[in-house]
Amino acid sequence: MKIFKISLSLLITAALIYALDRSWGQIPPLGRFLDPFGGFWQNAERNSTSSTTLEIPGLTAEVSVYYDSMMIPHIYAQNEEDLFRAQGYVTAAHRLWQMEFQTHAGAGRISEIIGAAALDFDRTQRRLGMMYASENALKLMDGDPIAKKMVDNYTAGINAYIESLTPKTLPFEYKLLGYEPEPWTNLKCAILLKNMAKTLNMGEKDFEMTNALHLFGKETLNLLYPDMEGVGDPIVDNTGKWSFKPVQLDTVPLAVPSELLAKTPLEKPNKDVGSNNWALAGSRTATGSPLLCNDPHLNLSLPSIWYTIHLNAPGYNSMGASLPGAPAVISGFNDSIAWGVTNAQRDLVDWYKIQMKDTSNNEYLSDGKWKPVRKVVEAFKVKGGATFYDTILYTHHGPIVYDKSFHGESEQSLHAFRWVSHDPSEEILTFYKLNKGKNHGDYMEALNHYSSPAQNFVFAAANGDIAMRIQGRYPVRRTDEGRFVLDGTKTQNEWRAFIPNEQNVMYKNPERGFVSSANQYPADATYPYYITASSWEAYRNRRINQVLATLTKATPADMMKLQFDNYNLKAAESLPTFISHLDTMKLNATEIAALKTLRSWDYYNNIDSEGASYYEAWWDALRPMIWDEMNNDKLALDYPTTFTTIKLIREQPTLSFFDIVSTPAKETAKELLQKSFSEGVAAIEKWKAEKNKSPRWADFKDSYIGHLLRQEPLSVHVEHGGNHDIVNANSRTHGPSWRMVVSLEKTGVKAWGIYPGGQSGNPGSQYYANMIAYWAKGKYFSLPFVDASQISSRSIAVHKLNPSTK
Amino acid sequence: MKFVAQILTVALVCLALQLFLPWWSLAIGAFVVGYLFAMNGWASFAAGLLGVGLLWFGMAWYIDYTTQSILTTKVALMFPTKNVPLLFLATSLIGGLVGGFASLTGSAFTYKKRKW
Repeated sequence: MKIFKISLSLLITAALIYALDRSWGQIPPLGRFLDPFGGFWQNAERNSTSSTTLEIPGLTAEVSVYYDSMMIPHIYAQNEEDLFRAQGYVTAAHRLWQMEFQTHAGAGRISEIIGAAALDFDRTQRRLGMMYASENALKLMDGDPIAKKMVDNYTAGINAYIESLTPKTLPFEYKLLGYEPEPWTNLKCAILLKNMAKTLNMGEKDFEMTNALHLFGKETLNLLYPDMEGVGDPIVDNTGKWSFKPVQLDTVPLAVPSELLAKTPLEKPNKDVGSNNWALAGSRTATGSPLLCNDPHLNLSLPSIWYTIHLNAPGYNSMGASLPGAPAVISGFNDSIAWGVTNAQRDLVDWYKIQMKDTSNNEYLSDGKWKPVRKVVEAFKVKGGATFYDTILYTHHGPIVYDKSFHGESEQSLHAFRWVSHDPSEEILTFYKLNKGKNHGDYMEALNHYSSPAQNFVFAAANGDIAMRIQGRYPVRRTDEGRFVLDGTKTQNEWRAFIPNEQNVMYKNPERGFVSSANQYPADATYPYYITASSWEAYRNRRINQVLATLTKATPADMMKLQFDNYNLKAAESLPTFISHLDTMKLNATEIAALKTLRSWDYYNNIDSEGASYYEAWWDALRPMIWDEMNNDKLALDYPTTFTTIKLIREQPTLSFFDIVSTPAKETAKELLQKSFSEGVAAIEKWKAEKNKSPRWADFKDSYIGHLLRQEPLSVHVEHGGNHDIVNANSRTHGPSWRMVVSLEKTGVKAWGIYPGGQSGNPGSQYYANMIAYWAKGKYFSLPFVDASQISSRSIAVHKLNPSTK
Repeated sequence: MKFVAQILTVALVCLALQLFLPWWSLAIGAFVVGYLFAMNGWASFAAGLLGVGLLWFGMAWYIDYTTQSILTTKVALMFPTKNVPLLFLATSLIGGLVGGFASLTGSAFTYKKRKW
């Protein structure tokens, strides 16, 4: 009896410990997680910081890290090796979980963390060749002494932090999900950069355009999806002054395979990914020195995508926004120059239809010969399940993303994916050289190392120069090449040459006294190369240029005001037309009241604006109603752009596309505007009834900054104006992920910056989301770009990193 | 009196162990204390439950207080109950249950029924 009791009680104890020490599906390991001595409680940080001395293996000399009041680290090292090592350590100390999670996402390894639900995403990542691209990038990094120095030390710094962790100090999300970090590698730095390239390049729509071509014909295609919409100024307004001799290719007939293409499961990047940047020459500023501004618009997430940092070593002194997971500053400044980036939008992705010899998929046709398929088996570890193996078919173009084992429609429909980011590249050197750059010449040299993702690099220098260069590695394209799926059996359809760096779109010190970019087209039709893109921006860029053109004594405050500008140019151009089509006799009382609100609206999407809510609700009902032809369950099709849609409403209101296919009546733009207005008002009425408040724009939009794990309690809702197509480009989930203003004064560079998050990735830190409230009000923090003696007096904590004695 | 002494002893021993060892080391502490105190099953179970439960509650409360609940409120919302007091209760109960059963196991070795 006694032995029975002992055994039973022992068994229960052991079973309890076992059950509480592991995750069960979505449930964290409860014993470990709730333990106040080692679990999540330990991640709660006190409202105080302490100075400390740490030992970091591999450092050659002492490094001082001063944290300012925003928890921005100012790193002072005695050589560049130590500088990058310290950057890796310090960044990991604030953002390790995020860095690893994002690189796991890039590498298609999320199933390891959250289970089979992520397998489809993971397979897509590998099938797009993310690892292939990253490994190619790594080869070049390892081959270059500077890049290798940066990445080796950065990686070692991260690993020094990982090795210092104990079960108690493990970042919160590891405890929640019940796993531990693995060692960082140089490859992970490459994966991170390639994943950013994917975000910025995969807005391509070759399948959609191919279907549109077959369904509607070339004429309608060019009406609905023109290469250039001819609105506003190109980024580089240089009509007819292109003086180089372009690379010529033989003209060949465009070979577009004839079949219609099924919808793919590839999640397209949100169209609200974009950015603004500009620089004013001294002739337009109050100080007589240039001003430079940048605000990249990305998916707003927590922990934040950016990490502000100041890097200082002999010959190196740079500050700005860095990407956790990559060394150096990405968008920032030093004591002589400043730079910033927006996406160049260019189409750098092509799909080639592949003809296999037989269903064994061993050989494919290329110029009449059968070439061998390279088969790569990828293993996917799955949390709580068996390892999954996937065979990916590689052609010389690149990987075949969809086949019979993965969302493929049929054996006959295999398409190889060609992406410029698959090629070896050395972007990391560009940022190193920009961080250390002194003048326009250094900027030009730095950009020569930059391939992808193609970016509009704005530049300004304390010596007075301003410049813009649309840098990337662009294939030389024949007219219409790249818009559609291509025949992969003929090598003449492939990329034959790349535009030489010196022939890329660029200029310096233009007469108008400013340069700017907002994802619009880079140059007009006189540029000697054919340019195509997923889409060009049509509103922000014009508003920015209109405002900049009026400034003669611009101050940093003017720049901040412009970055926070909520003027809705799209509404100003379209709402009068929309209203003119309404038959007010058909409106009910609520609709009449809504119309009154719209008529008195000033076209600003401000926080309190109700007119903005009615306008956006109207537009959100209207657009899918017009393009019902594109809402096809099976075929890949895309909506025409906002600008083209509005243009067609104004100029061709009886176009056949305005007819709603599912109704017997023959609608025109007029009927659609009437119908969508009622729907929009109804949507607002429904919202009002649910929320029991008036439809202020910020409430109706409900801007949201979500945690990477989509955990609501770790996410933040914020009152913020603006929207897509507005300079202050905050739609519900996307927007200005970093706002920077730099004044390049000869007496010393001054800078201000902010992002919607905080320096710490720890939800238990007061620095997790502390900047959001300021960001939402259009406020900035001064970025203290000073030497060690000045920063030490205003720092909240000092960390001395010493070479390890072990 | 012995019961209260056992509660305090469990709490102190487990505190010492948990400063250095993983969470489940509390089971070793509760087991040994249960063995040494040799109380009857129910009393030993209750002493382990209360000793560890109070220890975990106390430590959780201390952290929550000194950090102005910065993480507690977020984590509480991540559980279906969405309630801070219940998060404290769950924390105390989970530590307490393991402590209770470990203590019970320890006492089962040494407790002798009085003969009468």
